[in-house]
Amino acid sequence: MEGRDLRRHYAVGGGVLVARGVVKAVDGVSFSLAPGRTLAIVGESGCGKSTLARMAALMERPTAGELAIEGTATAAAIEPVRRRLRLNVQMVFQNPYGSLNPRRTVGATLTEPLAINGRGDGAARIAAARAMMDRVGLRQDRFDSYPHMFSGGQRQRIAIARALMLNPRVVVADEPVSALDVSIQAQVLNLMMDLQDELRLAYLFISHDLSVVRHIAHDVMVMYCGRPAEQAPKESLFANPRHPYTRALLAATPSVDAARRQATVAVRGELPSPLNPPSGCAFASRCPHATDICRAERPAFRPVDGHLVACHHAEAIG
Amino acid sequence: MPLLEIRNLSVEFATGQGRFRAVSGVDISVDAGEVLCVVGESGSGKSVSMLAVMGLIAYPGVVRADVMRFDGTDLLGLSDRARRKLIGRDIAMVFQEPMSSLNPCFPVGWQIGESLRTHHAVPRRQVRDRVIELLAQVGIPDPASRLRAFPHQLSGGMNQRVMIAMAISCNPRLLIADEPTTALDVTIQKQILDLLLDLQRERGMALALITHDMGVVAETARRVQVMYAGEMVEEAATEALFAAPRHPYTEALLAALPERAMGRARLPTIPGMVPGIADRPTGCLFNPRCAYADARCVAQAPPLDGPPGRRARCFYPRAPA
Repeated sequence: MEGRDLRRHYAVGGGVLVARGVVKAVDGVSFSLAPGRTLAIVGESGCGKSTLARMAALMERPTAGELAIEGTATAAAIEPVRRRLRLNVQMVFQNPYGSLNPRRTVGATLTEPLAINGRGDGAARIAAARAMMDRVGLRQDRFDSYPHMFSGGQRQRIAIARALMLNPRVVVADEPVSALDVSIQAQVLNLMMDLQDELRLAYLFISHDLSVVRHIAHDVMVMYCGRPAEQAPKESLFANPRHPYTRALLAATPSVDAARRQATVAVRGELPSPLNPPSGCAFASRCPHATDICRAERPAFRPVDGHLVACHHAEAIG
Repeated sequence: MPLLEIRNLSVEFATGQGRFRAVSGVDISVDAGEVLCVVGESGSGKSVSMLAVMGLIAYPGVVRADVMRFDGTDLLGLSDRARRKLIGRDIAMVFQEPMSSLNPCFPVGWQIGESLRTHHAVPRRQVRDRVIELLAQVGIPDPASRLRAFPHQLSGGMNQRVMIAMAISCNPRLLIADEPTTALDVTIQKQILDLLLDLQRERGMALALITHDMGVVAETARRVQVMYAGEMVEEAATEALFAAPRHPYTEALLAALPERAMGRARLPTIPGMVPGIADRPTGCLFNPRCAYADARCVAQAPPLDGPPGRRARCFYPRAPA
């Protein structure tokens, strides 16, 4: 999967014909995702990571830019083509309590994608669903159980199983473990990594939790206010962050390990309003390194030392 | 003498399937001016035990304890009237979801002033000034103009600051914070935790922090209590707990943290899940999930064992006390 300069803008407020403002939820994001790899998108609420996930899962069309799946352009493709391509991209959502239909059994939930796409006959679908339950670690005798009879971790397994029923190449996972307790979170992360190894899945892994990202990702993109702030291979990003925002995120993440803990002051202030973003660098108002150029001019997203960084002072900070 | 002393606390709820013990055999003691963390997963009883301290367990919940004292006052035998004088003034609480614990229909200034007026903490004419002062203390810029703001006009972090301002308005000696940062982004979480610890130090206030996040524990508390399925399973000084956990549950919980894993290796997991109302095991509540459990653990419930401050509820502790 390849995204090039993806943008998604929403018109908000105003009347029927005239919009009052434009929220640039995602504004110029590029990435490429290879089979068997995990790209993590990290950022705080409102940074555009979920909008990016919805575009990647072909649930929304980008306002501008191009998204290609196995070389096929999707942004301007007609709906039947997008529907066919959508088979390759499936989604796992954050809250397994809300994303499963409470009135459908696990079996019905898992066979539905096959039925919709006319795969196999009834018996074949049921067999496929049972095989998938095995694969994600659910007992087959729970085939006729309803979601409320499962725990949070098991529900997330059902959601993952549902996403895999159509053998997708890419799974877009939007905060798949943030609603789960630590011990359950570890089970689901292990499952996702096993499935990736077995099926050569590519994951677009959306998260705000850096310790989870550090564990599962190959590459990481940090987003701030709809724009990429820094992108790099995982080891390099955690060892040598170049963007002040990445540093602030790392410093703010509480750690059980005293050696890894940094005695830094918390970054001040809050996210700027998406309706009225600052003209220069969006992070300038909170950044300890900000100078006049940061407030006046938006930094380009440029290569620095193997990372892609959107900061005027990336060289000085490293 | 500890500021808050609770021995053998239990909270029971009558349910359709009989009585359910959400909390049993929990001891909590908090000294004046110290920071205590209570850590546990969902359903471990950490919030319920603190709600019991606040007297916020309503019918059909039943709270029992051998001792439940705050600064010499017996909380169990307290009349509702006397309790209302104490709660909000000497003991205050900050809840998890600032958006849903503030009243959406009133401006935040009025809501903060409410506890000042109720407890007659300052003369009525000075309430407004005191609220502005409080908002400034919790780091809200331009406090005078925020008095008339409604909760929906503020961000989650700002609302949590309002909650804290409300809690500290009457100079409590004990502040109970129930997952105060769980709903917030990490940079804001850091700000709120720093704020709570600053206030705690400046005012010599005791802070009981309830959390599920081991990272938060490591960065804030001097002492920790670990809860599992309604029981306290381990208590320790923070460094000791992270260096050498005694209870197998604590050990497994720490091992399951992605942060402690090497590279992309599989994370060690705890099999199964926290027992619910209907499926409480016999003996040690952790035995079905424990790697070290034997027949004795299934037959008998282990007592809290070890020297004060380093106790664990296990027959076979993983580290010496």
